[in-house]
Amino acid sequence: MNEVLQLELIVGVVVTFTLITIFVASAKKGNFDDQKKMMDGMLFDSPDDLKAAADKEAKQEEMIAKKREQKEK
Amino acid sequence: MSNVKCSHCQLEFDKSVMITEEPELYFCCNGCQGVYHLLKEDGLDDFYDKMRNATIAPPIESQNDTGNFDLESFKQRYIKTDENGFSRVDLVIEGIHCAACVWLNEKVINQTEGVLEASINFSNNKAKVIWDEDVVKLSSIIDKIRSVGYNAYPYDHNEASEKSVEAKRDYITRVGVAIFGTMNIMMIGVAKYAGYFSGMDPEVLHMIHVVEFIFATMVLFYSGKVFFKGAFFGLKNKIINMDLLVSGGATLTYLYSLTILFGAEGQSYFDSVAMIIMFVLVGKYLEVLGKKSAMDSMDKIKNQIPLEATVVREGGKSVVMLDQIEVGDIIEVKNGEKASVDGKSIVELATFDESSLSGESLPVEKQKGDLVFSGTINNGMVMRYEATKNYANSTLSTMMNLLEDSLASKPKIEETTNKLSKHFSLTIILLALMTFVGWYFYSSDFETSLIITISVIVIACPCALALATPIASLVGISWATEKGLLFKEAKFIETFANATAVVVDKTGTITKGDLTVKHQSQVLSVENLALLFALVDASTHPVSRAIKNHLLQEHIDIDNKELLNIEQISAQGIEAYYQEKKLLGGNAKLMQSQNIAVEPSEYTIYHFAIDNVLLATFELEDSIKEDVAELVDYCQSNKIKIIMATGDHEKVARRVASEAGIDEVMFEMSPIDKAELIKKLKNEGETVVMVGDGINDTLALSHADIAIAMGSGADVALAMSDVVVMNNSLRGVKDSFNISGRTYKFIKQNLMISLVYNVLTIPLAIAGYVMPLVAALSMSLSSLLVVGNSMRIKNEK
Repeated sequence: MNEVLQLELIVGVVVTFTLITIFVASAKKGNFDDQKKMMDGMLFDSPDDLKAAADKEAKQEEMIAKKREQKEK
Repeated sequence: MSNVKCSHCQLEFDKSVMITEEPELYFCCNGCQGVYHLLKEDGLDDFYDKMRNATIAPPIESQNDTGNFDLESFKQRYIKTDENGFSRVDLVIEGIHCAACVWLNEKVINQTEGVLEASINFSNNKAKVIWDEDVVKLSSIIDKIRSVGYNAYPYDHNEASEKSVEAKRDYITRVGVAIFGTMNIMMIGVAKYAGYFSGMDPEVLHMIHVVEFIFATMVLFYSGKVFFKGAFFGLKNKIINMDLLVSGGATLTYLYSLTILFGAEGQSYFDSVAMIIMFVLVGKYLEVLGKKSAMDSMDKIKNQIPLEATVVREGGKSVVMLDQIEVGDIIEVKNGEKASVDGKSIVELATFDESSLSGESLPVEKQKGDLVFSGTINNGMVMRYEATKNYANSTLSTMMNLLEDSLASKPKIEETTNKLSKHFSLTIILLALMTFVGWYFYSSDFETSLIITISVIVIACPCALALATPIASLVGISWATEKGLLFKEAKFIETFANATAVVVDKTGTITKGDLTVKHQSQVLSVENLALLFALVDASTHPVSRAIKNHLLQEHIDIDNKELLNIEQISAQGIEAYYQEKKLLGGNAKLMQSQNIAVEPSEYTIYHFAIDNVLLATFELEDSIKEDVAELVDYCQSNKIKIIMATGDHEKVARRVASEAGIDEVMFEMSPIDKAELIKKLKNEGETVVMVGDGINDTLALSHADIAIAMGSGADVALAMSDVVVMNNSLRGVKDSFNISGRTYKFIKQNLMISLVYNVLTIPLAIAGYVMPLVAALSMSLSSLLVVGNSMRIKNEK
């Protein structure tokens, strides 16, 4: 019985610390700088917005690659 | 009469005044119509679905100043280049009201060719834009933002703002970890407390203690680091502060719990350690948030500083950065430009719009030798002046520094609480020591003495006292901010709540500061009406604008006439020709210079003449703000004395006061007279609130117990003020009274709660009737009571 409790507590501690690490890392990166937008943004999630986000990332990668190429030349 | 919603901004107007389009599209103005169609064309009409029931302001009238964004000096000051060669600028976006606005602006900017990234922070309306300068200019990006009805201006992303962002992130992390840790300890605590009453296997209890120890260690040493630092600096400066008691209490409880963990008999109190740290830390975090939002507001005000100046040296003109201007330099200011530094005019006549300093909308004439202030706008011909101060010592820069200093200062109410807690902390430490010594001699039992001593420390932990004032102040201040009122320091809540007299300035405070036509001497023919319209349309002078608005309101269809040889006559009016006719529009001086006889008047007058024949005279006056009555009613019903003090002559002052319902009027008052009035009232025992907006009010503002400035007022007035009413409404002053009164009431209640709690529980703890577990629970309960009570501030019925 006690072994089961022990295991549960260990798993609990490990899970909590994993979550805390993720939280700290994201907070330091600035993910919680704008709580207002984060809350409202959840309501805006749609396939179109996801597609737009993916397109934006592709555009960014392309622009950065192009700029680096120019710089090297 | 039926109201319909504008298809773009969603504001409701009468159907008859709307621009209608098929099928069932209504627009309140051309701006909304243009933006609506632009969004449709660009496939951004999702914006209207995302808006839901929100409304936005109609589009901001666009300015032709985007060229400034491509200037070299602008680049040097605001634009940074990253390692890949992309440019980055930080902007404040004006006009954002809801999440849909953020979505739209991000979409519009991101869709622009050459933009790498644009992200807008909804909390402070600040945007970070990264783009490729080789592909697109910043001016084009700004044009895009303006095309959808918003406006953008840069802000200096300086070290201070960087630090405030860092501080906020740091606190979010620490508070988050504290909440995580405390929640876990409390969950495990349920099992522990249940076991306390029903019995528990010692091995399981030990396991629980180990887990609690892990979380409490994390909370105490990571989240609670700020208290250890505060206590260390306090001790270094020989000050016993609240941080010492919080960190000391928590550490002692932690150390005692460690002895239990390592085999001693008794209960551990790791949960109390985590709760003490978490509660007080949340209070500190709210304070950091308040400071950050005040700094964000500053960035919006800083936009008034011009970017560069044209300096005439050795006959040649050159454009220089503001900090390169030297005393004695000759500076040229074109029409519409801002003076960059203080100086004295070297031209015979010039006119400046000093509304940013004085609040007066009418331009001020400057003769040769008159002072020109930085930040004021030249609205006459090109003029030159000699710099008498460098940029750092000029009015605008000094005011910005003053404002920044006042934001950096610590709220005095907190200093008072800290002083109080210093004595409180010392008393508790002494009491705890005496309790330990007393019990040790009485019982000769070290453990019992230690447990009772810890109970005293835990129960007296100043959470409730520490939170009593800051939590209530922060709820009050954040409520005020929501209503557009910036309280620069929390101490003003108390003073405001005890105010007994209000002195109000007239222009820009009671009156709108916008001229309207009150009387027109003669009716003009349709032809002459069109000529007058063309004449006033050619000028941006406030009087011309007022006449133009009047004509547009009274006559919907006015032909557009094309005038020739338009000449602005500085400080007098305008002259122009239509076919062979000579048109004149302006003040009495202009008419007299053309030998046209006019009668003197106490009002602001605009005469219109064709071929030197006077055709019409317009009397203009400043109208009273609609919400004056609310403030007057509030003051009268709360027995607060209200006095209007103005520099105007008696007749005008009495008329305005009677329209506003104010009985006590002081007229023809110089800035010194106003300050004397405040002093006199204070000597009579009154707590005086002064409401003003101009540079002429600053002396009086500095003498008042509470200085309130209107947000659109002079920078100097903003700097001198204790409370800024951002929406320029007198309802804001009434709201300030209401909010501070209510907040002060709750501060007193909170202090009473913590006092009663300590008076009741500390003697019981000293007597040994409270075990540490109950002490920790009751301590938390007292904090919760204070927090819960403070949250009621906003629940006004």
